[in-house]
Amino acid sequence: MADAAAAVPGDPRDGPTVLDSLGEDITRIVYPVTTCMLLVVLLVSLLSSPSAPSPLAASIAATTGGGGVSGGGDDIPTALVTALTFVVAVTAATFLLALLFYLRCTPCLRAYLGFSALSVLLVLGGQVALLLLSRLRLPLDAVSFALLLPNAAGALALAALAPASVPIALHQAALVAIAVLTAFWFTLLPEWTTWALLVAMAIYDLAAVLLPGGPLRVLLRLAIERNEEIPALVYEARPVDPRHGRNWRLWREGGQPGASSTTVEVIGEVLGRNLDCNSGYSSSPQVHEVATSAGDANNSRPRATLAAALSSADSSIAQAEEVPVLQEHRVAVAEMRVPLIQPHPERYGEEEEDEDGIGLSSSGAIKLGLGDFIFYSVLVGRAAMYDYMTVYACYLAIIAGLGITLLLLAFFRKALPALPVSITLGVVFYVLTRTLLEEFVVQCSTNLLMF
Amino acid sequence: MTVAAGLGYALIALGPAFSLFAGVVARKPFLVLTLLSSTLFWLMSLIVLSGIWRGFLPIKSGTWWAYAILIITSVALQEGTRLVFWRLYKKMEEMLDAFADRISKPRLSLTDKMLISFAGGLGHGVAHAVFFCLSLLTPAFGRATFYVERCSKMPFFLASALIALGFLVIHTFSMIIAFNAYDEKKKCDQIVVPVVHLAAAVMMLVNLAPGGCLIGTPLLLVMAVLTLQYCWRVACRRLTEHQHRQLNN
Repeated sequence: MADAAAAVPGDPRDGPTVLDSLGEDITRIVYPVTTCMLLVVLLVSLLSSPSAPSPLAASIAATTGGGGVSGGGDDIPTALVTALTFVVAVTAATFLLALLFYLRCTPCLRAYLGFSALSVLLVLGGQVALLLLSRLRLPLDAVSFALLLPNAAGALALAALAPASVPIALHQAALVAIAVLTAFWFTLLPEWTTWALLVAMAIYDLAAVLLPGGPLRVLLRLAIERNEEIPALVYEARPVDPRHGRNWRLWREGGQPGASSTTVEVIGEVLGRNLDCNSGYSSSPQVHEVATSAGDANNSRPRATLAAALSSADSSIAQAEEVPVLQEHRVAVAEMRVPLIQPHPERYGEEEEDEDGIGLSSSGAIKLGLGDFIFYSVLVGRAAMYDYMTVYACYLAIIAGLGITLLLLAFFRKALPALPVSITLGVVFYVLTRTLLEEFVVQCSTNLLMF
Repeated sequence: MTVAAGLGYALIALGPAFSLFAGVVARKPFLVLTLLSSTLFWLMSLIVLSGIWRGFLPIKSGTWWAYAILIITSVALQEGTRLVFWRLYKKMEEMLDAFADRISKPRLSLTDKMLISFAGGLGHGVAHAVFFCLSLLTPAFGRATFYVERCSKMPFFLASALIALGFLVIHTFSMIIAFNAYDEKKKCDQIVVPVVHLAAAVMMLVNLAPGGCLIGTPLLLVMAVLTLQYCWRVACRRLTEHQHRQLNN
């Protein structure tokens, strides 16, 4: 047994195997999404009243006669109308954004971005803080609160908007904070409205990116042509493997006719992006430059879609020649950020902007737009209002959807929306859990019959 | 009974899983992904199961044989899921090996394969503990506790946490045994895993009798220890054989 114990740790003969760093990209985007969802669930369970009692809670609390709060004043037609209004507003806003981007009004877009981030943190953050203070009975006087809140909001807004000047952890924390606050605000909507909104946004995302006349597709094309950066709220996963020295990655050349990547290579590229490309990437390294584009966010919530737009610019060709010569390959993998603007519904005066979308940044890490964070968390938060079983099921569904989207991205290599797969899976699992699973599990568990 | 008790129950069910996760799985991102996907698999099999049985619920309390059929079908379905998981794992292994060859890194070692099967088993176990115990634990964070009629000596939450712990251990380590058995094509090990699972599940029928949970729960934990010990033997044997083969080469 001592031999086996000695042989177990690491198999010194083999050295670090391929398993060591595989899939690190995906993990680095799964952890923040998980954290955001966890925070929203915590906030929801602390601050909201349940929409409908789950069977177990109802059976346990039967004697107290409590529970049974109906989802008050909320029906399907209203929900559909609200969702439709939202989608129409979002479409209009995206076209407006495309127009502004076309006219190169970058400073005003940038200013707007700052204003909306600050307002989210100040107003929503203040609201949530007040609710928490009253719920948890924390002693804090008004003067200190009035001092702390604007300072904290200002600092976080600055951290969110200027990633170059703050530590990356703070920048990421600020983005997650903005997403959490916005998502929590969305869960305050009535139940049917929330679900209708989620489904409508998923369908809209799909249509806007893939249909020829879709606003996001137009914006995408503009951004590719311009090769410009857009200042936006986008979560960038930490650059991986600093010991490897670079965060570039190699993509197969998109323009090659008949270059069909096999499943192995595609998955390998998706999962193993951060393996050291110098360690003998034997086949001729095809350098691929993806045009960087960024959409500016406007007076609403921009949402970018999942995109890995490929195009080859002149510089990439030049670099391709240099590649065999240079020690380090520089692959600028650009990210496609297509903001999708969603103004708030009329009754709420807030405006903010975040960005959606999965892309690959110039530093090689995965970027996911903040709108995706928000809608995932809204789904999970709404599930939390029913019962925790739905939360776990929806969480797994969303993460599975995220993984599938990444794989699809690697396969198709063009603009893909990040919301539809996850939201669909999430809604399906929510419905299945609520109708089928819960009854079954409660039946078995209360009889202490598990398998 | 307050947050402390609720947290305590949650830790009884998931504490070992959490330390296994933090110590082993979290170090390699691929294992985290394996864990998430095996959790998803288990959830899907549970949903299918509940879909099949939804029409027959609620079962009248006198009919224990209905529960027996439920348990047998559930275990059969889950073992089927394990086989499907094994097939998918084989495909993934081929892809990983081809990828490793392509980038001139060593292929998956035996330890890696065992780690992947461990992560898969842990995913199953965590899914079981989460859906059968953790999701029902919410009332435990409140002010009182809850006793089931047939188990008046132990709070419901404690019983379910202990059972979840037992099944977590069984799921985790029987996955290692099963993958090893499929790999080496050992029939006896391949049979052992479903038998152990079935035995543990059938043992839970004891809980239907009044006061039965006081017998059923410790028996289940004994079963978990037996699984753990068997897995230890299998793993040691395999690793020493592997090491000897490498020394001889």
